[in-house]
Parts: sequence; C-alpha cells; structure tokens
Amino acid sequence: MRPSTRFAFRLWASSALAGFVCLFGIGCGSNTEDEFPENEITVIVPFAAGGGSDVFVRIFQEAIRKNELCPHPIVVKNVSGAGGTIGSRAAREAKPDGHTILCLHDGIFTAQHYGNALWGPSDFEPIASTGRSGVVVAVSEDSPFESLDKLMEEAVRKPNQLVYGTNLGAPNHYSALFLQKGKPGAKFRFTQTGGGAKRLAQLKGGHVDLTGFSVAEYEQFKAAGIRALAVLSEEREPSFPDLPTAREQGVDAIHGLMQFWWAPKGTPPHRMAYLESLLREAMATESVQERLSNLHMDPVFQVGEPLRETIRQRSANLEGITIENKTPLPPLEWIVLSVVGVCSILVWREAKA
Amino acid sequence: MIELFTDPLILGLVLLGTILGITVGAVPGLTGTMLIALSLPLTFSMEPVAGLVLLVAMYVGAVSGGLISATLLRMPGTPAAVMTTLDGYPMATSGRPGRALGLGVGASLFGGLISWLALWQLSEPMADWSTKLGPFELFSLVVLALALLAGVGDSTRARGLLAGSLGVLVAMPGMHPATGELRWTLGMTSMNEGFRLIPVLIGMFAIGKILEDLTGKGGEVEKVSGKDSAWIPFGVWKKQLGNLFRSSGIGTLIGVLPGVGANIGSLAAYMAAKRASSKPEEFGKGSEEGIVASESANNATVGGALIPLIALGVPGSVIGAVLLGALIVHGLQPGPLLFRQNPEAVHAIIGTVLVANVMMFLVMLGCARWIAKLSLIPKKILFPLVAGCCIWGAYALNGLWFDVVVMLAFGVLGWRMETAKLPLAAFVIGFVLAPVAEENLCAGLMASGGSYLPLLTRPISLCFLITAAVLLLWKKKGSANKP
Repeated sequence: MRPSTRFAFRLWASSALAGFVCLFGIGCGSNTEDEFPENEITVIVPFAAGGGSDVFVRIFQEAIRKNELCPHPIVVKNVSGAGGTIGSRAAREAKPDGHTILCLHDGIFTAQHYGNALWGPSDFEPIASTGRSGVVVAVSEDSPFESLDKLMEEAVRKPNQLVYGTNLGAPNHYSALFLQKGKPGAKFRFTQTGGGAKRLAQLKGGHVDLTGFSVAEYEQFKAAGIRALAVLSEEREPSFPDLPTAREQGVDAIHGLMQFWWAPKGTPPHRMAYLESLLREAMATESVQERLSNLHMDPVFQVGEPLRETIRQRSANLEGITIENKTPLPPLEWIVLSVVGVCSILVWREAKA
Repeated sequence: MIELFTDPLILGLVLLGTILGITVGAVPGLTGTMLIALSLPLTFSMEPVAGLVLLVAMYVGAVSGGLISATLLRMPGTPAAVMTTLDGYPMATSGRPGRALGLGVGASLFGGLISWLALWQLSEPMADWSTKLGPFELFSLVVLALALLAGVGDSTRARGLLAGSLGVLVAMPGMHPATGELRWTLGMTSMNEGFRLIPVLIGMFAIGKILEDLTGKGGEVEKVSGKDSAWIPFGVWKKQLGNLFRSSGIGTLIGVLPGVGANIGSLAAYMAAKRASSKPEEFGKGSEEGIVASESANNATVGGALIPLIALGVPGSVIGAVLLGALIVHGLQPGPLLFRQNPEAVHAIIGTVLVANVMMFLVMLGCARWIAKLSLIPKKILFPLVAGCCIWGAYALNGLWFDVVVMLAFGVLGWRMETAKLPLAAFVIGFVLAPVAEENLCAGLMASGGSYLPLLTRPISLCFLITAAVLLLWKKKGSANKP
C-alpha cells in the first residue's frame, strides 16, 4: 500500500467509525430521554401538489422554516388520489410517533359518510384546526334567479329539475345536501363537475344551473360572469358584506370548509402538545396571516376541547343527511370488458389466418 | 412585454427553467408536473413575475424534452410524447437520429409559436368558446379520438382496437370518475385511485423496452447509430408547412379544453396528418410527417392550456392548475380581472411562452449532437440507470411502493404486448381517455336526467360523432382496397 492510499484508507475508516458512533449515540439518546422531534416531521397532504390543500400546507411549512420554529424541517408529502382517502389511510397506518401527521379538511368526514373510507375523524387524534373558508352558492349572470329563496322555491315546486354541479362525495356535494335539507321539499338534480375551475366553466357554459364555490374561488371567478346568491356561513363574510347568508333568506343551511391537522391514533400526549404549539406559533406569524387573508380564509385556530366539540358537531350534522335519487348510469366497465372480448376473438382469428 | 425580457435575471430564469424542464421531460419517470410542483414553494420568496416566468419556462421545456427519449430510446419521457415514439424511434434506428431530433425540435418550436400567437391575440374568444363545450361534447370528442386509435401504428385495425380497449379496461378499477364510488378495487385502499398514469406509462414503455432488449435473442437488438446533422434545411420545412399549421392548430384548440390536454392533441394531429398524407404507409415506420405532427401539436397545447387560465382563471391542464395556485399564493387574483389588475403578470406568462420556446429550440438544437450520443451509452450502463430513474420516479410520485409494483407489472405487460404486436401507444391513449370519456358521459346523463338524446341533438356533439363514424367506415374501405 502506498502511503497516500494508506492515509486515505485510515481517514475513511476513522470517519466511518465516527459516523457509527454518532448514529449509536443519537439512537441511545432518544431512547432514554424523549427528544421530540428527533428528525423531520412529515405532513401528508392527500391531494396533488399545487392544489388548494397543498398550497395551504406549504404556507405553514414556509412560515415554520423562515421563523425557525422547529429544529427539524417540515416535509410535505403528497399522497393524492381518490378524494383524499389514499393519503388519509397512509396517515392512519403511520407510526404514531408524531413524525407523520395529516392535514385534511372536511373531506375526512364526507368520505366516510359517502362510504368511500371505512375510517373517519374518530380514527385520528385531532391536533388543531387552522382556518375556515366560507362557501357560496352561485348562478350564471343571466340566470333568472336573483335570490336564494326564489331559487329554493323553484326547487320545491319542480323537484329534480335544477341541475346542481358538484364533486360527488366531496365536501362541495355536502354543501348542496345541507342546502336541500335547509328547505324541506327542495330537490336538486346533481351532476358531477369536478373541481372549482371546472364548475365555473360548466356554469358559464349553461351546462348546470347552480353550483357552490369557496369564498376565495368566488372572488377569483366572479368577474367571469357569475353571481353569488348566498353564503352558507352563520354571519356575512367580511369580503362580501352585501351578500346575504342562506339563513337570512329562510334556508337553514350552514356549511364551510375547515382545515384540520390530524395525528395517528396513539401519538403520545406530550408530542401532541408540541405539534399543537408548533401550529399555534406558525399560525401567529405575519406570513401565515397575510397568505390566509389572500385566500379569503377566516384565521380561526382551535385546539383541545373546542376543537373536539367542532368535530363532534360536524359529524352529528352529517348524520341527518341521506344520499338519494341517483341517475341510473350505464355499466361501462362491463361494456368495455365485452369489447375487449370481441376484439380478442378478432385478433385471434386474424393471427390464425 | 419586451422590457421584461431585457432583464438578465429574467432571461436567466427562463433559460434555467427551460433546461430543467427539458431534463425532466427527457428522463422517463420524471415529469414536468413533478418539477413544477416541487419548485412552487421556492418561488414563494421570489417576485411574483420572476416566479411565474420560471414555472412557465419549466412547462414549455418539459413538454419539449419528452421527444429526446421518445426518439432515441423509444421511451416517451412525458405522456405527450407517446405519438413521437411511433416514427421518431424507427427513424433513429435507421441511422438518422440527428434528423429525427431536428424535426422534432423544429416542429416543437413552430407549434409553440402558433399557440403563443393564439394566446396573445385570441385568448378571450377561445376561452368563451371552450365553455360552450359541455360534458356531451367532450364525450363525443373522446369517442372521436378513440375512433382514431384504430389506425395507430403499423398494426392491423383489430390489433389497434384491442390494444386501445385493453387500455380502457385497465383504467376501470378505482374510484368511478363521475360518482366517486369504488369499483374493482379488490378491497385494497391502494387500488382506490386505480392505476396511475405515470407508473403505467413508464412501465409499458421504459421497463417493457428494457425487458424486450434483455430477452432479445443473440444481441439482435435494434441500435440507434449515425452521426447525421440535426439541422433541417429550409426546403424540408416548406414542404411540411401545411402539416405544421394544421397540427399546431389542432394542438392549440384541444389544449384549450379542460382535462383533455397534450395527449389527445398529438394523437389527433398525428392521425389527421396520416389521413392528409400522400404517403400514409410510412406512418409508424419513421415518417417525417408523423414526427412533425406529434411534436408541433404537443407544444401547441401549452399555449392552448394557458388560454382559459389567463382569460377565465380555469386551468386547462394539471400544470395549469399548479400555476393557478402560484398566482394565488403571490396574491394575484387569477380570472378575467387579471388582465386589468396585473397586466405585468399576464405579459410575463405570455412572453415566457415565446422566449422559452425559442430558448428550447436553441438549447436542444445546440446540444443535439451530444444528445444523440445518449444512444451510444452501452445498454449495461443505460438500462440500470433508466430502470433506477423509473423506480425512483414512480415512488416519488406519491411515496407509495404500490406504484412501483404497478409499474413493474405493466413493464411485463408492455413487453408481452410488444411481442404480440399490439400497439402500446393505442393502449396508453385508451387508458388516458377512458376516465375523461366516462366522467363526461355520466356527468351529461346526470344533468339530462338519464337521457342520451343530447348526444345527437347538440350540434357540436353530433358533428364529432358523425366524424368518428365516417373515419371508422372510411378506413374500412381504404384497407379493403389494399392489395
């Protein structure tokens, strides 16, 4: 071995040894005294990167990093798909050590109610709720309906005629169901329109009669030629002081979108307390306050008993809701299966010939 | 608009975004959506205009970069480049990789410029037009696209249809695109979303291709070699002018429609070029027209997809949705007011489409000589690299090992389909279109109370359906006439 090689080897060996010692040292340390967090905290966002929920979580991530609120980084992990149920399951099955948490809005309630998830809010430890968006009901500018009560009367007089564009199974669908429930006898014809922007296109093109938007979406879309009839909040929204609530118009419907942070069941209480105070500090920063107001969100912050009460109330509200009058749809999957069968026979005969 | 791009910082950001975009576009497994979503938080601390410029440049680069791996390796780096594999790869294996790249890059620039013009001058009328198309029209459009599938590749019509319908079948498990109910998930939550596009796409093409080459008997593997120039003389472009305008127009128009995007854009332009061509038999065997049609159309969808974003605040693509998020975070209010309230942001977006397309052209043409050498890397080095990227990309998508398993399984399927001479492009496009078709048909039926009549009574929808029927029947006569 040449001296330089030997030196390199020794250097390598000693640094490797040092590395091992460090690893063990940290490992032992964490076993004896509970240092939390030991490493990065992963926030599961059950929707695609760049969407509303993703942007929301990243606002907190940025505030925590900039203000050095946590010694370890916050990592956003997008586990999207199937209305948030894939991500919420990943969080539910994560190790309950506080290093993996979930941020999911009212979709956690509706997915369980709609039957797409066997788990719901009671399968998690709620950490905090950090913001609420109001929901408005809107029609196209050239719609004959000038107010919500007129529209609801029409829905009572001619049930199943007014087409309501929703994202079936998502909180947006439930806003409409609450609306229906708030006016006995009223029935809408629901159709699938997907996310907020698609709902705007369908409303503008005259393909649906009415639909729901978050206050932020409405602010963004209103100049495109749509008109809100009511907001489903308890009081008027500060951004739209002239827009009456549904209750003022005799329709007893309250709905809104709350952002909740959840930890897997069994997360130790002191770690829950840490996460709680981390979110509280982040929430108090100027950047979070400013960005939430850009998103027209009401910066409510709830933890502990008030939070549990909110969750109980939201679950209870859903219990009175039933899903009905579904349009019969063609069994496309079986049609496709038979087409595949026919084509296989064609190809098989062709190959034989 | 011009002053903005005299700022060296902005120009540097466009260049950086374009190069990063091209890179992720070219690597199978990494996508532009991923890059843009990951870069979004970095732009939070930038000036809004600078952030937008960077993100839009990445978008343009990512759609363009896909043609590199599609041409040299037959592995489309992005879904939009699927049609480019059909002719780019045969041309590259026949000893003209430079020419195949040059055609693709030039056509991309042309498509980008046409859609930039539309974005700049026609965004309001086009955005209004796009809202006129409701669920029934979109369904009929997808039926038209599926009818086009029968003629994809150089296989027979029955094989094209079988591959396409298999793709549709594979799209069935998971959440029903319209009702949100679960179907064929075998009780597994991982299956709730069904099979995702990226694992399926890179499995079918990249892993499938690796398996195929590994099992090729006695080294009878097609090789890409040749040192021809990527500079395409002006005379060649002159001959392609009609094709370029038609394909870019189709790409722009289809890009405007929400959720339909770059895949249908390049498919429709490709098939239209095949039908208009005097040499349709060359399609699928290295046709210049095929490469030009696919690449000009997929770049044209970028400008098209930005039209409803700027004019209405409605994103025309997944990447558009991320850009929308970027606007909101920066405190800009997307929608019709954006033009009046923040004209500098609109000008930045529109200007970047132009500048990034030109930079993409210069970068890719300038590097074509080195890019073409990619295919000279020995397979024993290249394959593990590509496989590694694929596995990492599939996992990074959502951090689920399920996606990696799906990708490997579809690799085996792709390999078997290739041996059975079933066109992979038809499979992937069927897979992409199935949920769009189902969602729109069901949404239409729910709105009409279960009546199918609007499919025939709405004029645009009727037009699409008649065209689809004519295409299928016309094709039949054409093949009967063949000797």
